[in-house]
Parts: sequence; C-alpha cells; structure tokens
Amino acid sequence: MKAKVGVYVCECGPNISEKVDIDKILETLPGLEEYREIELVVKRFGLLCSGDGKTFLEDEINNNGLTHLVLGACSPRDHDKTFIGVCKKTSLNPFLYKIINIREHCAWIISDKDKATEKAITYIRAGINRVLFQSALLEKKLDINPDVLIIGGGIAGMEAALSLAARDRTVYLVEKDDHLGGKAVLLGGLLPRQGGGPAKIREKIESVLGNDMIKVYLESELEGVIGFLGNFEVIVGSPGDEEKKDLKVGAIIVATGSGLADPAILEGLDYSKTDEVITSMDAERMFSKEGKISLKSGGDPKSVALIHCVGREEKGYCSRICCNYMIKIAGYLKDQSADMKVTEFHRGLCLPDKADQGFQKEAEGRGVEFKRVRELTITGTNVRYEGMDGKSEGLKFDMVILAPALEPSEGTEGMADLLGVPLSESGYYQEIHQTTNPVATSIEGVFVVGAAHSPKGITDSMLFAQASAGKILSQLIPGGKITPEIKVSEILEAYCTGCGNCLDVCVYGAIYYDEGRGISVVNEAVCRGCGNCFGSCPSGALRTKHFTNTQLYEEMREAIR
Amino acid sequence: MNDFAALGAKIKAADGPGEAIKAFLRQAVEKKVADAVLVPVKVPAGNSYAWILVTDMSILDDASPVAPVMPVQGAKALKSLTRKGHGELTVMAVMRPCEIRATFELLKLNQVNLEKVVLVSYDCPGAIPFRDYVKDPGFGEKNFQAVMAAGGPAEKNVKPACVICDEFSRVDSDIHFGWFGESGSSVLVIPSSDRGVEVLGSMGMECSDDIAGWKKTISGLKEKKTGKRTATLTETAKTIQGLDGLLGTFSECIGCHNCMAVCPICYCRQCYFDSEVAKKTPDFILETAKKRGGLAFPSDRVMFHTGRMTHMSLSCVSCGMCTDACPVDIHVAEVFSYMADITQPAFEYTAGRNDGVPLPLRKYEEKEVPQVHEIVKEAEGEEAAHE
Repeated sequence: MKAKVGVYVCECGPNISEKVDIDKILETLPGLEEYREIELVVKRFGLLCSGDGKTFLEDEINNNGLTHLVLGACSPRDHDKTFIGVCKKTSLNPFLYKIINIREHCAWIISDKDKATEKAITYIRAGINRVLFQSALLEKKLDINPDVLIIGGGIAGMEAALSLAARDRTVYLVEKDDHLGGKAVLLGGLLPRQGGGPAKIREKIESVLGNDMIKVYLESELEGVIGFLGNFEVIVGSPGDEEKKDLKVGAIIVATGSGLADPAILEGLDYSKTDEVITSMDAERMFSKEGKISLKSGGDPKSVALIHCVGREEKGYCSRICCNYMIKIAGYLKDQSADMKVTEFHRGLCLPDKADQGFQKEAEGRGVEFKRVRELTITGTNVRYEGMDGKSEGLKFDMVILAPALEPSEGTEGMADLLGVPLSESGYYQEIHQTTNPVATSIEGVFVVGAAHSPKGITDSMLFAQASAGKILSQLIPGGKITPEIKVSEILEAYCTGCGNCLDVCVYGAIYYDEGRGISVVNEAVCRGCGNCFGSCPSGALRTKHFTNTQLYEEMREAIR
Repeated sequence: MNDFAALGAKIKAADGPGEAIKAFLRQAVEKKVADAVLVPVKVPAGNSYAWILVTDMSILDDASPVAPVMPVQGAKALKSLTRKGHGELTVMAVMRPCEIRATFELLKLNQVNLEKVVLVSYDCPGAIPFRDYVKDPGFGEKNFQAVMAAGGPAEKNVKPACVICDEFSRVDSDIHFGWFGESGSSVLVIPSSDRGVEVLGSMGMECSDDIAGWKKTISGLKEKKTGKRTATLTETAKTIQGLDGLLGTFSECIGCHNCMAVCPICYCRQCYFDSEVAKKTPDFILETAKKRGGLAFPSDRVMFHTGRMTHMSLSCVSCGMCTDACPVDIHVAEVFSYMADITQPAFEYTAGRNDGVPLPLRKYEEKEVPQVHEIVKEAEGEEAAHE
C-alpha cells in the first residue's frame, strides 16, 4: 500500500505565520512525491492545538485515510502529548506521527524569513522521511498495584504511612531499628515550646501500630527491587533471617532520615578527647532521660558554650535546623538554672520559620548570649574565637555542646544504588527538581521525603511526607491501569559482546550482564528509553525503539539531501 | 613508564633475554606459581610463530618469548583464552609492551579476564614486518638477530609502528624483563605490580639490585623515540587533512577489512560496516549517484576507516598490526596513531594503563564539551593552514 502522509503546518497565531512563509512550504513539499512512493496531503491551519484544530486533525486523518501524520508546529515539549491524544481517537497509531518544531527552531530564532522558511522545509522533509520508517508500536496496559512500601519508620515515614493507609491500600513500613519514631522519639522536647512534644510522637507511633492497613516490619531492610511505577517487586529481609518477604507495591517512599556528622573528624574540636564536650543529640538524650543536663563528672554546669555550624563548611551546606534547636537546648539549660551562663557561638543565625525570631528574642531575654564569630577553636572546654570585629578572645566553660552538620544517613549510597536513584553532590538523594518537584526522583514511583531528602526539621518532614502521599494517591488509584514506557531499548544478542559500556551509562539500572551468555540484557520494565545505551554501543547491538539507527539515519539523510 | 619498583633482580643471561625469560618460565612452573605459560612458539613449518598455551614444558624448547614477528596480537590471543572467564590454571603470559597495553584496554571492555594471569613484559626492540618475514624466514631471523644485537629499540628493519614506538619498555605488567643498556650477560627482573612482587617472592627471587641505571637508559631512549614519533606523525598529518587527504590515503584500500580483523581493540562481534544496517537502499544509491555523477562500489571505503577511528582511537596502543596486515601497504597505523595522539589527550586519557580510569565513553563530563569545541577549532585551523 502506498503511504499517505498528512502534513499540516500550524500558524500558531502570528508566531509561525509571520516569520515563516507557510504557503511556500505548501508549494514545495509535494515535490517529494517525485522520488518517494508516497501520496501527500498538505494543508495549513490557524492553531492546531485548539479545540477546532484537534477536531480538524481528527477529521483529516479519518477522511483521508492517512497512514502517517507530520505536523509542522511547536516544540514537542508543548504539544506532543496533545497530538498523540488526537491520534488515539482515530485509527492512526500514534507512533506513526511526528511533530516538527518549526516555531522554536525556525520562526523564533531566524530573522530572515526566506532562511527560516528554507530551514522549516528541510526539517519537515526530514520528518516526513523519518515517519515513513517509524513502526506502529502497541501500548500495553497493566493493572496497577496501589500498595506502597515505605523505607524508614521515623516521623516522615510514619506520617506518609498514615496518609496513605486506607481500605484498599496496604502500606508496608520497613524499619531497620527495633522501634518506630526515628530520631524524633529520642528528643527531649519539640520546638517551639518544648512541652508535650515527645508525647505527640508517641501518639503517632500508636496510630501506626493500631492501623490494620499498615504492616510494620521492624529490624528489616530493603534487599532488592525491580519494576516501575505501579508494579514494583521488592524483597525485604532481616539480618540473620534466611526467610525473605517478597512484596508487590506500586510506589516506594524513601524516608531513611539523616545522620549527624562525626565532629571528631573536625580539626580544633576536642569532641573525642574531653568528656564535657558533647553533641546536641547527647544533650537531647540526657535531657529526655534525666530531665536535666549534667556534667559527666557530676553536678550541674555553671557555664555552657553552644557551638553552631560544626562541619557546615566541610559539608558545603547549612543544616537548617541547628540554630533553632540550639536555642531550644539553651532553654533547657535556663529552665534548669536561670543563673547558668549560656553562650551561643554562631556564624549568622538561620531562623526561617514564622515563630523562630520571637523564640530567639525570648532566649536573649532570659540572658542567653549570642556571639557571632568568624573563627573558632576548642581546646578542652576552652573556646577561642575571632569575633566580627576581628578581635580574638578566649573563654572558659564547664561544658561545650556542639551542633554537628546533618548528613545522609548511613547506608544511603547502597540504598541509592539498589533503587537506581542518583545522589546529588551533597550525598543526599537527587530530586527531579529542587524547587518545582522536590519529592519525586528520576525513577518514576520512587519518592524521597523527610531528612533523607535534605536537612529538615519535623514540620518540613511532615510536609514532604504528605506531599509524596498526595502524588501517590493521584497516580495509584485502586483498580486503575498504567501504560509502561514502550519506547524502550533492546539488545540484539547476535551483536552484543558484553563489553558493559551500556551498563555504565544507564542511569536507571535497567541493564544487567548475563554471565552465562556473556552479553548485556535490558530489563524493559525498568528502561525509560533515554537512549544513553544506544549511543554508547560500538557494536550496533543496542536499539532504542522509535529511535532506531535507520530512523535517525533516514531523517538526517533527507535533511542534508 | 610504570614506576612501581626501584629495585629488581639481576640474573644471568648469557644466551640473551629470550633464553633468560624461558628459564624464568620453567622455574615459575617448577615452583608452582604458574600452571601454564602463554608464549610464541615457532610453528613446525618454521615460517611463523603461534601463541601456544604450554603445559608440557618440553615445548618451551621451541618457544621464542621475544619473537621476531607478531602474526597475532597477544591481547587477541589472551582474549580467546579468557573471554569466558578463568579456570583453575594460573597462566603466565609473555607479551610485548603494546600487547599488554591492548590487554588492559580489553580488560576495561570486559573482553579478557586477568584473574589468573601473570603478565610478563620485556624491553622490546620491535618486530619484523610479517610479510617480509614469511617471504624469507631465514633472512628474517637474521635480520631480527641484528635487531636484538643492537640492544635497544630498533630504528630500521622493523615495522613502521615499532620505528616510532616510545612505549617499548616497562608498562603496567606484573613482571618486566629490562635488558636495554645492560651488559650482554645479564637482565633485570623487575616487579611491576603487587602481584609481581608476590610471584617473585614465591619464586624466592630477591630484588635487591638497583635499577636506576637501566631506568635512565630507558628514559633517554624513550625521549629519542617520542621525538621520532612526533616528527613522523606530523608528516602523516599533512597527508590526511581534509576529505581529499583521506581519500588519497585510503585510495588503495581494497576493502579486505584485514586491519579490523587483526586489531586487538576491534572487539565487536560484527562490524557495523559489514552489517545489514550499513547497506544502502536503492533509491539512496541512485540519488547519490545522480548527485555526484558517479558512485564507487563497494561504497563507504573512507567511512569504514573514519568509523573505525571514531570507535578505536581512544584505545589505540599503536601496535601496528593494521599496517602489518594491509596487503596494499597503507600506513593505517600512523593515521590511527595520529588520531590517538589527538583524541586521548582530549579526554585526558592514556590507552593501555591498568589504572582503573574508565574509558572516556563510559563517563560524561560537562567540561569536555567546550574542550572538544576547542580541539575542533584547532583542527579546522590546521586544515585551513594546509590548504
């Protein structure tokens, strides 16, 4: 059958029509019929993405019996999905359609109308030739699994679990320790008023344990994962237990929290050498257990130095929560004894939330001294510092409390590797976009919340947990279907030499090496069709569907003909 | 040069380095540090050498660790031995520096397994062009004897790639035999890796001889050879600039693809240019013929070579197998070496090292983009200058 290709050029209002001579395109293109066994239908339209435009295209496809469709219009980022939607309403397979970007690539960047028109013609010609070599791929529909796996039973993990657990959705909460509550349950008090906090955390734990739709696995860890949004298969195991649990879930939330940098590695800080130099977490634990902060040698301290920003420079980021909780700890000390000399050494305070400034003023009112410093060294419990005026001074204290930087919790690298989620320079998980899509990762269906995402207090951890729950609730509707990526890569065994180039460049962990056959193999369920592997293969063994060598070659060949 | 050790073991070598290496191999098998050795052995017909995995040590009598010719690149031999992994046997393989360097490229490409291989290298004087040798093996042997007698990297009677080779000595092997500049009756056995130290230790060889003198000799010779390489490749550059240059260089190519077949780095199961994907559609052929007024067949002759350059120049170790195998004497190795000298520094990569640095294609660095632009600009400038 002779191919019948419909070519429609969108005016995009004045955007394309004023900068490109559309009529000239319409006159020139039929020349292609001379050397290609094709029949062309070539027309222009005002605005193809409008309601009228979509109806027009639908009618054109049906009435002309088009076998292929090429649109000269805008960027596929704008309206590829719109026109795929149009094709789906007709009998035309959407993979036999191609949008050519003559707006951003021609109209908007070339001031000479003749040149812009010439380039638009070249691009459309190339597109027509490409579409002829495209294959009608068939989409698959898969049932989705609405259940969710949450790794980490801290405050963020618990909140996500409580937001998601429902009659038709089971949540599996995996915690590596023997208790829920993470770091928050260890604290002496919560901001801003300190009282009643720990009880609130314990209430959350009770709610989680009392919820039939939340299955809690303590002392357990994620050991394996394959699959994609809506259809993950995961293995959960416990150290020392041979028996593994195979779970099927639709999404995974990583809520593995944060660790504290070891201040012992920092120069000038005597953390490991002197008993009376402790970390903020030590202080919280002491306060939580004994209701007060005492010297290791016994008795109450008369003077305490609180050191902010321990390791901030080394880590290269602000840990966000320390300024606040150090003021809280100053509060514990002042409650203990109003006469105690409490000095906070900071490098500029970070107090971003609405109640924070007042909280700090209140502490100042109670006699807590705030000293902004440039440089600072600690010997024993002696603090030597250079103030903002450039003068150096030394002060002696009974006790020093350090606020070490937050850092990715232990095992983050291994977990990232297992999930195929990249890490950012700071060592924390890399989100899709820091400002506009902070909870999602490059692996669809894997979300990162709480302090596992970046240094965070309890409020922000709650917000992130709730945000990820929102995303999952809208994506994994019980009884719904999901369309997996079909533009995936495949490896032709006859050509593959198993060199492993593709394994190194695959960012999704979708390729594995088959020892027995000595070749690399694509796991189609995980592949997102990015094409990195295709570019790295010297043997021509790799093929990415819808971006085959032939298709790209034919497109380019026509462009330079 | 690999700077692993400052000391070596000076051993007697009255009958030359080849015999000393053979004695060492026998001892290695006796002391059970190796179960078999991979060495070139003269074929029964007497007109060539073949890689033999020797388990019966009496075969070693006919072996020539420092063989006059290289009909098969050692890395290729080692690949066919270990492509599917390693067995129980520990193999001691004696190879030229270029063969060991190619081996490390293949290691990075998952084509060889060195788990149970001890690599032994030696100061290499070069190899006789294979076709010269097979024409008259007797004359070839005599020629090679003269090359060996000179006691340094040869400047004539060896393959063109050897004439300009500046990697003729210690590479990242496990054990190296240094003999350039040493008196005729001794060679230095030099550990070049942790495994090498372990092997020599198990053999009871004490490394207490200073190798500074030998190192100085080598660096002097190396400097000379690098100069020679630069001078020759500068001449090569002039002949291959632009499409006309390339067409001229490869105009004699008969499309036998020997260069690909013998290249140790060309590891694809099937070359793209031999595959169905590379075949042209009739309309394309006619169209191109019409546009140009004529079209040569089989087509893509220059494309084949430039394509291979794209794939291989980052890993090219300048072993010269391609030139040696070319039936029409195209200086393929020089062209590839010239490209290698541009592309490898461009990615701050040196082929042939066992340094854990991944192949440039396996990692992406943003800074490389502007760097490549610079190099392209430079090359364009050069091209314009030649025109």
